[in-house]
Amino acid sequence: MNKMRSVVNKLHERIDYLIEKCPNMTAAPYNYNYIFKYIIIGDMGVGKSCLLHQFTEKKFMANCPHTIGVEFGTRIIEVDDKKIKLQIWDTAGQERFRAVTRSYYRGAAGALMVYDITRRSTYNHLSSWLTDTRNLTNPSTVIFLIGNKSDLESTREVTYEEAKEFADENGLMFLEASAMTGQNVEEAFLETARKIYQNIQEGRLDLNASESGVQHRPSQPSRTSLTNEASPNRDQCSC
Amino acid sequence: MEELLEEVVPSEDLQRFERKYHRELESDGWIRIETKFEYAFCLVRSRYTNDVKRGLMLFENLAHEHPDGRRDYIYHLAFGNARLKNYTEGLKYCRAFLEIESNHQMNLLEAYMRKQSDREIVKAMALAGGTVLFMALGLLGMGLAMVRK
Repeated sequence: MNKMRSVVNKLHERIDYLIEKCPNMTAAPYNYNYIFKYIIIGDMGVGKSCLLHQFTEKKFMANCPHTIGVEFGTRIIEVDDKKIKLQIWDTAGQERFRAVTRSYYRGAAGALMVYDITRRSTYNHLSSWLTDTRNLTNPSTVIFLIGNKSDLESTREVTYEEAKEFADENGLMFLEASAMTGQNVEEAFLETARKIYQNIQEGRLDLNASESGVQHRPSQPSRTSLTNEASPNRDQCSC
Repeated sequence: MEELLEEVVPSEDLQRFERKYHRELESDGWIRIETKFEYAFCLVRSRYTNDVKRGLMLFENLAHEHPDGRRDYIYHLAFGNARLKNYTEGLKYCRAFLEIESNHQMNLLEAYMRKQSDREIVKAMALAGGTVLFMALGLLGMGLAMVRK
């Protein structure tokens, strides 16, 4: 009876193993050199989730409802021949989430601060978002200001020049973008990554600090035996 | 989806909202919706199962008490159940939500829970099949042993 139980247990483990491990085998464990953590912040309805969706899916999400709590997106990009995985936390803009989403600021390497060029109030609130960001992130966090909905020129309420001046005064990077047409969306996410990477290269960002928002992955995976086994069998995996 | 479900609330944040909750309870004898919501938000993201369960209770309570915020509460009832791997219960909340509003976040959560619960069914079936097979083999072995005797 005991023998049978042990065989059943082994079978159970084997099934667990197949179920858990097989999907992961379709991709090598570390097919990127760095992980950068981003947050997207700004007033409700400025298009934070639409920017994320445009960046990760290359699609415009029409009729996008208000985000509940946080959303998450990821994409691997390339900077200077290095593969970087962006882990993007998109926070809800509704006031009721303001206090609880502050947890997500911690350890962000990049912060995308978004306003809507057609709604002046969203621009006026930037200083409060900036204060939160400065207080809750570290000094090396790259803050990128995005004026979204640049396609809606006829209803514009904030000029490019004014926002550019605000960005320069506060040492922020800045672009106007459109989640709908995709204009400048890639640029905003990629330029943030380039700036973070530059900070690493110039030693301004301590990779060993837990709050840096950057994790370095060795280009040669440490679990070589597993990878070498997994790669040739990748296509044969039956699950 | 895994990243969202695995993300754990920093304990100092959980404690901060917990203190606020108890302070209001002690000084006023009742708790503001906002405070209850913030505390529940952190609880369902805790690493401890009992915290998540407590968070779910608070969200259920909020859903009755404050219908205006119901979409946030139902989402979190699905989310917390997903973290506890209570997929059947979680999927009920997903369906209730999606009947009222089509929502990208909820679609992702529902798809994830469906996939996980299907896996569990496959696992259970494989295990049951394996057990039957081994019992049959055992009986066969016993039968053979008896025949040899």
